[in-house]
Amino acid sequence: MLELLPHLLNGIALGLLFSLVALGFMLILGLMEQINLAHGSLFALGAYFAYAVCAAKLPLPNEAIAAWAAVPLGWRFATAIVVAPILVAPFGLVLERLMRRTYGRDPLYGLLLTFGVAMVLEEMIRVIWGTRDYMLPVPNDIGGGFIMLDLIWSTYRFWAAAMAIVAMAGVWFIVERTRFGAMVKAGAHDSEIVQALGIDLTRLRVWIFVLGTMLAAFAGVVMAPLWGIRPHMGVDAVVPAFLIIVLGGVGSFWGAVIGGLLVGMVVGLSAAYASEWSMLSMYLLLIGVVAFRARGLFGKKSVLEV
Amino acid sequence: MKRRSSSGGLSRRTVVKGGLLTTAAFFGPWQHTRVLAQGAKKPIKIGLTCDASGQYGNSGQDDLRGMRMAIDEFNAKGGVLGRKVEWITADTETNPATGTRVAERFISQDGCGFLIGAVHSGVANAITQVANKYGTIYLNSNSSAPSEAGENCSRIKFVWDGNGTNFSKAAVQNAVSGIGKNWLLLTNDYVWGHTTSAATKTQVEAAGGRIIDNLLVPQNTRDFTSYLLKVQQAKPDVVAMAIGGDDMKVLRQQISSLKLEEKTAWINNQQDWPDIWGAADTLFGVFGTTWYHKLALPGVDDFVARWKKANPQSPIPVPGNVSYNGYMATRELLRAIERAGSTNNHAVIKQLEGHKMSASDRMQHFDAYIDPVTHQVQQTIYLARRNRKPKDETDLYEIISWSKPEATQDDAAAQKCKLKAFPEVPTFEM
Repeated sequence: MLELLPHLLNGIALGLLFSLVALGFMLILGLMEQINLAHGSLFALGAYFAYAVCAAKLPLPNEAIAAWAAVPLGWRFATAIVVAPILVAPFGLVLERLMRRTYGRDPLYGLLLTFGVAMVLEEMIRVIWGTRDYMLPVPNDIGGGFIMLDLIWSTYRFWAAAMAIVAMAGVWFIVERTRFGAMVKAGAHDSEIVQALGIDLTRLRVWIFVLGTMLAAFAGVVMAPLWGIRPHMGVDAVVPAFLIIVLGGVGSFWGAVIGGLLVGMVVGLSAAYASEWSMLSMYLLLIGVVAFRARGLFGKKSVLEV
Repeated sequence: MKRRSSSGGLSRRTVVKGGLLTTAAFFGPWQHTRVLAQGAKKPIKIGLTCDASGQYGNSGQDDLRGMRMAIDEFNAKGGVLGRKVEWITADTETNPATGTRVAERFISQDGCGFLIGAVHSGVANAITQVANKYGTIYLNSNSSAPSEAGENCSRIKFVWDGNGTNFSKAAVQNAVSGIGKNWLLLTNDYVWGHTTSAATKTQVEAAGGRIIDNLLVPQNTRDFTSYLLKVQQAKPDVVAMAIGGDDMKVLRQQISSLKLEEKTAWINNQQDWPDIWGAADTLFGVFGTTWYHKLALPGVDDFVARWKKANPQSPIPVPGNVSYNGYMATRELLRAIERAGSTNNHAVIKQLEGHKMSASDRMQHFDAYIDPVTHQVQQTIYLARRNRKPKDETDLYEIISWSKPEATQDDAAAQKCKLKAFPEVPTFEM
């Protein structure tokens, strides 16, 4: 049991990170019934913008860059966490504008559109930043390792898990405890009635999309020091995100959280004890769950069943 | 009464006969002869099958820089056999399926008479299958799975990088006696990882050590925490890694951030230059390579200067082992065509098989040769570690040993490699 404990803890931390990656995807799919395949590219953009801010690689005059580079890394990192999602938000606005024609139509249109946008964004990243990898520097205070259970653990990993919890709590509060959340959920349930009540559903959808985009970018920033930054890192994000949403149940906040934790646990344990199954394990988990609950653990009837 | 088909007014017999004749025309005794281009002064066209994306995207592009430089140098001298050398490239995406499509298109549509490239052994093997079909000479510039010159060898393929067995032989013996007997393997879960780890296992056990665990790491793994926890629990004397490309970069970063390199000894079978450039702080342990731009050998400085001039926009400022292999493979192919006096593939293959290359010409410590049995270049194998006293910002390595080709030769490959006889290889001339 003592040998197993580190891997259980690791699975929880990994699961929280997976949930964070899936959160923005869940928001847009669950509340707008749009499968946003560009989620991964927005995630990658967040990481790249954070790198530009943190490593002082900004398109600014040399004096400004030098002054910013002289700022302690901790402040630059904190700024990157806040600024990167804001910088990515306009991309979400543009994407939402492009997607309007697909609302209410076959989900395939939105899927194809976002797939195309994802490819455009990835190529844009290659043009601007090239194909090489970058590492997002982490301040010493939250970097390095610490000893627990006689093993060395990554300090930042637990900071990242803590940031994931904060982000999830924020989303839960917005969706479950605000008027805005209530209107969005009502809109997802019956858009005609909501519009008849005088609520501007178009504007609501914009805000949801921007929020989902910023969450994708935030996840990109948080994950960048762990995963590294590279043009196709979005694919690394969007695949588990989609899997977690289907596993947890489309439209369910808790489904995304529990789904992420389950995937983290299964991947973490299989990597340690049956490493050849580690990548496959999450898919087997999905098959196992969907075989018994077609709508996922907490799912309702959704766009996937159209 | 004769029956005719309703569509063309032809009898069934005529259709069958015509079909047989057409089939015979394509697949009969004539299948082994193709002429890709007419006229002695037509350019010689080479397809450069280089990854531009995926796990080996950076390495693929560095490979390409070396190849282009070699071609440019030949063209500056008037080409080969008085003909200009042309090249095309396409992103093979570190993906065997894409490699197959690119190779097929290069040969059958773009008229390439030769292929060069690949870092990922799965991609290299996929390209080999296509090249085999047409008899197209394929130079595997940088993929180093032992299987490439073993069970997946081919009469038309030549392998330019050192393979996992070569590097294991160079590294393992001393490490078992000097560091410890308990080894743990971290293995990328694809052909290069498996074959390289198998080679390491053989060497470790032959030296009196034992493998306490082998953790398979799926490609594109981004989070190695589970593996690193497991490594700490197992407490091996040495961890031997066969992890490649972007995976290796992330793994190095995660090991370094935890300072785990101080807890155990780490050996990386082979370290490609593009995978370490820009992350020098994570360069720990002992690793293998085939070339380094600071080797104190004649010709190295001149080569580096030429390379820098040829690649002023390169994100990597100096040539590493990958670009070196790309250059050497391309240069030796063009030289072989010149020696053959023809682009006939059989004639060129004969020029490459067993070809000897002097140490000075290859800027290595020992003479190299192309093994006629396996088609792998047998060359000097270097072991290196991080340079604690760099002369400049590119001086990342300290070369700690160099082994003769004979000392690191992959003996098992010769047993596994069965080359086709020449009459079975389609011939062509372009």
